[in-house]
Amino acid sequence: MLSAYEISISYGNRDVVRGVSFDLRERRIIALIGPNGAGKTTLIKALNGTVPVSNGSIDLDGRRLDSYSRREIAQRIAVVAQENETKFPVTVLEYVLAGRFASGSAFGWESESDISIANEAISKCDLVKFGGRLMNELSGGERQRVVLARALATNARILLLDEPTANLDLEHQAMMFRLVRERCQTCRAAAMVITHDLNLAAEFADEVILLKNGQMFSYGGPEDVLTERNLNEVYNVQVLLDENPASGKVRVTTIF
Amino acid sequence: MLIVALAATLAAGISVGSERLSLFDLTESQRAILFDIRLPRVLLGACVGASLAIAGAALQALLRNPLAEPYLLGVSNGAALGTMLAFVFFEGSSFARPILAFAGAGVATFAVYQMARSRTGMNVERLVLSGVIVTTFLSSIIVLLTSVLEAAKLRGFTFWLLGDLSQATYEGFYLTFAAATVGTIVLSSQARALNLMMIGERDALDFGVEVGRVRLIIFGLASLLVGTAVAASGSVGYVGLIVPHLVRLAIGSDNRMVVPLSAFAGAIFVVLADTVARTAISPRELPVGAITALVGAPVFIYLLRRN
Amino acid sequence: MLVTLAATALVLLSAGCGDTGPHGPLESEVRRSIVIDDLGRQVLIKRPLVRVISLAPSVTESVFAAGAGDRLVGVTTYCNFPAAAGSIEKIGDTQTPSIERIIALKPDIVLVSTASQLESFMQTLEQQSIAVYVTDPKGIGGVIENVRILGKLFGTDEQANKEAAGMEKRAALVDERINAGERPKVFVQISREPLFTIGKDSFLTEIVERAGGDAVTKGVPTAFPKLSKETALAMDPEVILLSDSEDNREPNEVFRSSKAVRNGRVYRINADIISRPGPRLVDALEQIAGFLHK
Repeated sequence: MLSAYEISISYGNRDVVRGVSFDLRERRIIALIGPNGAGKTTLIKALNGTVPVSNGSIDLDGRRLDSYSRREIAQRIAVVAQENETKFPVTVLEYVLAGRFASGSAFGWESESDISIANEAISKCDLVKFGGRLMNELSGGERQRVVLARALATNARILLLDEPTANLDLEHQAMMFRLVRERCQTCRAAAMVITHDLNLAAEFADEVILLKNGQMFSYGGPEDVLTERNLNEVYNVQVLLDENPASGKVRVTTIF
Repeated sequence: MLIVALAATLAAGISVGSERLSLFDLTESQRAILFDIRLPRVLLGACVGASLAIAGAALQALLRNPLAEPYLLGVSNGAALGTMLAFVFFEGSSFARPILAFAGAGVATFAVYQMARSRTGMNVERLVLSGVIVTTFLSSIIVLLTSVLEAAKLRGFTFWLLGDLSQATYEGFYLTFAAATVGTIVLSSQARALNLMMIGERDALDFGVEVGRVRLIIFGLASLLVGTAVAASGSVGYVGLIVPHLVRLAIGSDNRMVVPLSAFAGAIFVVLADTVARTAISPRELPVGAITALVGAPVFIYLLRRN
Repeated sequence: MLVTLAATALVLLSAGCGDTGPHGPLESEVRRSIVIDDLGRQVLIKRPLVRVISLAPSVTESVFAAGAGDRLVGVTTYCNFPAAAGSIEKIGDTQTPSIERIIALKPDIVLVSTASQLESFMQTLEQQSIAVYVTDPKGIGGVIENVRILGKLFGTDEQANKEAAGMEKRAALVDERINAGERPKVFVQISREPLFTIGKDSFLTEIVERAGGDAVTKGVPTAFPKLSKETALAMDPEVILLSDSEDNREPNEVFRSSKAVRNGRVYRINADIISRPGPRLVDALEQIAGFLHK
């Protein structure tokens, strides 16, 4: 669905990302991890075309990414990023309905199906009681869930998430990942998630990309990427690895 | 409902003035007063109000700043400067004014836009700051010009700069009516995109808005709207700031409604203000911009404090 | 011996009291006095007043009329009458005169009109011990009287009084000529767009009335009001006077069906002579009377 081949992204003379290649296929979740400043957010921005690549190519559904219009991209890729605070009064429903923009007409008003899709996304994210409220009346975590609802409302088959669990409590962190996985399985979607939580990554991701200084330090399944040596070299910490007794996935414990 | 209010305001505006007119049995000269002087002025006021209000609404959504206003961003001053230059160099032509005003507004907008661009994209704070720089720079050129021009030309300008509808002609009305209509239609077509851009430029991009194209359209339209309005009546301030704000307070931020409603509300506001300007110290006249500022500034302060 | 001492003392004393030599009048010849200007201010002057600066065109014309034009060492850039004023050094304009140049010219007196922003430079000039005299003549009677007053100030009484008498005679002639029964309605247009006219506080209103016209805007407050076009149209003047300047070549659109335009009674009059409260107001009076009573 979405594949990158040897892409580099630069700001001015500086290469922020270099030589990254991967293949995001349907029903797959890739976790993108790495220290701050490694280029993860920049990479995500390039994947939906908001930042240009200086080298290499990105293919979306068989065609080059730069051959699509913004609207076409938005129909296929949805983004969950840090939320922008707005100075205007916007309701939760209006915010989520923005996700239906790409599939509608510019002039028109939302159809009934748009509204029901939006409401469904709102209920999936446990936000039904906030439907008519203004965004700036909600807490940070609640707003983050609205951002997810918006992405779900697009019905796009590729989801790109940039630290979606940053402000969420335990209950909603788990809910977030579960929703993403459910979407991938039932709608044949795919997702790439930037996260700092290595255990969540291990639990939910099918593949992991470990980024250091803009380059792929390691790429593969969680057990292959999340090794003591890799984590030590990239994050400069000592870790203890064992198996999560509940799920059998790798479990990372930092030694302080 | 607003349409009714607008019709009522227009009717009120037409029936009031420095000369009393009976509604029936108009004498020859009374008819002249009504149709040659009062009617075009009231109609022009409505169009100027509509134009400035929707320009303000669109700019606020685009720049994600409820304080964005054609005046603050230097667009009005650019248009004023263009009009002054038209007056000085192309005195005879009645086309020169709106064309140079539009050009002036466009140049100012372009300057602001260029100044505000940075490597990481358009930053709203930078944009507003650039707007202030451009506005003050153009203001000083205008002041310079008015000092250097001879006293005879100066007198007319000082009044006009504050917003003056007394030179209303049917031509001016047709032009501003066309601009206001085009503006309302095109801006309404972009309204949904504006809704997204109001939330964030990145968000708009992510969800399918051609941000660069929309920005260009909005800036171009704002220049057109402000240019024609200023060419016809000088700088009527606060309309683009107050009217959309009040409309949003009443019906929320959905631009598909805010834009057209602001057009009507802006028309009403300016017609009312001009009616006061025409009758308060009758038979003398005040500049309409003085009235809009007198009303607008306290409302603005009140709105600021509510936030 | 005592006589010698006394004589020496006398010489020494008188030397101490006075200025010597060719730089200026001897101290004993300079008469100090206090005069009252048109604003009621007490102005300390030292006669004879040899070096004079004028800060308004109306003042320049009045000084020339009073016979003291040759004493002017500085005038404004707009002082264009009489022709002799053209060769006098320019010190800026009425609103923004160059204080430095004024001081450098070492004037004995600076004459200003009420159009100047007095407060801004009074202090500076007073600190330099330069006398500032404010003139504010009101109407024709006022400017005629002003010529006489300037004559007394400068000691050119003979010429000034002659000039003033001549002006009075000309004004009286106008008074005789006008037909009491006929008072055409007169509209004075100062600027075409926006429409500015004269109001009750303008001296022109008095002049129009004295010239035998009925100034239609005489009831409007202030001196130069911006008039509503509706009111202008309804006034339907019989005569329109245009103050001749670039933005005022034609009557305003609203007058196109007025009696004045239909009968061709639209006259242009030099903007300078009707805007300056100076001796040429009498010229204005004569011209207007001529237009009104052909």
